[in-house]
Amino acid sequence: MSLWKLALLIALFNVMTFGNGPVMIPLLQTHLVEGSRVLTEDQLLYAFTIARVTPGQANFYVASVGYMLYGMPGAIATTLAIILPGYIMIPLLHGYEYLHGSRWIRGFTQGLTVTSVGLILAAVVEIARATLTQPIAWIVLPATLILTQLLKWNIFVTLAVVGCLGLLFRWLL
Amino acid sequence: MKSDGAKRQRGARVTRGELFSIFLRAGLAFGGGLGILAVLEEELVDKRRAVTKEEFLTIYGIGRIVPSGTMTALAVAYGYRFGGLFGTVIALAALSIPVFVLTVALTIAYHYLRNTRLFDLLPVTIMPAALALIIVAALKLGKDVFRPSRELVIACSAFALALFLRLNPALILLVGGALGAFVLQKVEEESDAREKESGK
Repeated sequence: MSLWKLALLIALFNVMTFGNGPVMIPLLQTHLVEGSRVLTEDQLLYAFTIARVTPGQANFYVASVGYMLYGMPGAIATTLAIILPGYIMIPLLHGYEYLHGSRWIRGFTQGLTVTSVGLILAAVVEIARATLTQPIAWIVLPATLILTQLLKWNIFVTLAVVGCLGLLFRWLL
Repeated sequence: MKSDGAKRQRGARVTRGELFSIFLRAGLAFGGGLGILAVLEEELVDKRRAVTKEEFLTIYGIGRIVPSGTMTALAVAYGYRFGGLFGTVIALAALSIPVFVLTVALTIAYHYLRNTRLFDLLPVTIMPAALALIIVAALKLGKDVFRPSRELVIACSAFALALFLRLNPALILLVGGALGAFVLQKVEEESDAREKESGK
């Protein structure tokens, strides 16, 4: 896969998902991990983790994917690929009344959102099959869910705690 | 200078330097889109009164249908408003520099980790945690999905088509969107009506 093709693919995925970071995961998984095998599941997961611990826009983890494949030029190209469609904002500011009133567009975006929930969960199953090969991983995953969702812990604290938990079990077993 | 007068009537003027510092602060905000939005609202609406609350919400609404990520779209909108095309470059750069630098730095850290024994520990620490975070992201997206509804049917179909029939997710996404345009607009009308009634 050439740098150009990667940038075009990322640009396309980003536009299709309205720049929603998590929704891009199934697309990246199918095309870069399973399809052309330029990326491993581990690399994709690591890139996504970066998105969760950095400030700013949540779809910028594609820069990490770009860097893994092509170094700095890759990071810059993928970043530009997700930023430039933002300029559609300028014409939209003028044609807003028409678009806002359109129930078709609201239905379309609602359809995209709902579909992506199913797609993300399907990708989770795929990635889990490939990466959660060690039993300890099945302790860390639910622990993360409980800490972030039920106990509402901060993401950094959660990652530190489940990280230690994983290390502890690895040391014990 | 005369052309600035028209802008000033709509609200206070924001210089390029201020534009940079506002969006840099927004780019340093944690919590994804909502964290950034909170900073922008405080700076532009509350502190500087450069835009009204209504304008701010309208521009946010437009930003949500821009296929680049809402916050990137907001940087373009406010950059353009306060500094023309050059302003968009300033706002985008300020918003993106923190996340870009950190992302690249952490990716470089990954390359170093790769050659150490620590790398073997990633599959029992960071990887399953990341997977959990993806699940969380999916759950947050689908408030309407997890109750008996048309949304639930579409989401389940997408799940099955992707996992069992191994159809391309990009294709499923487009079909889902098109389906939504026909099937889900009616549902939205109903919920709109409900909101209006409860509003009274």
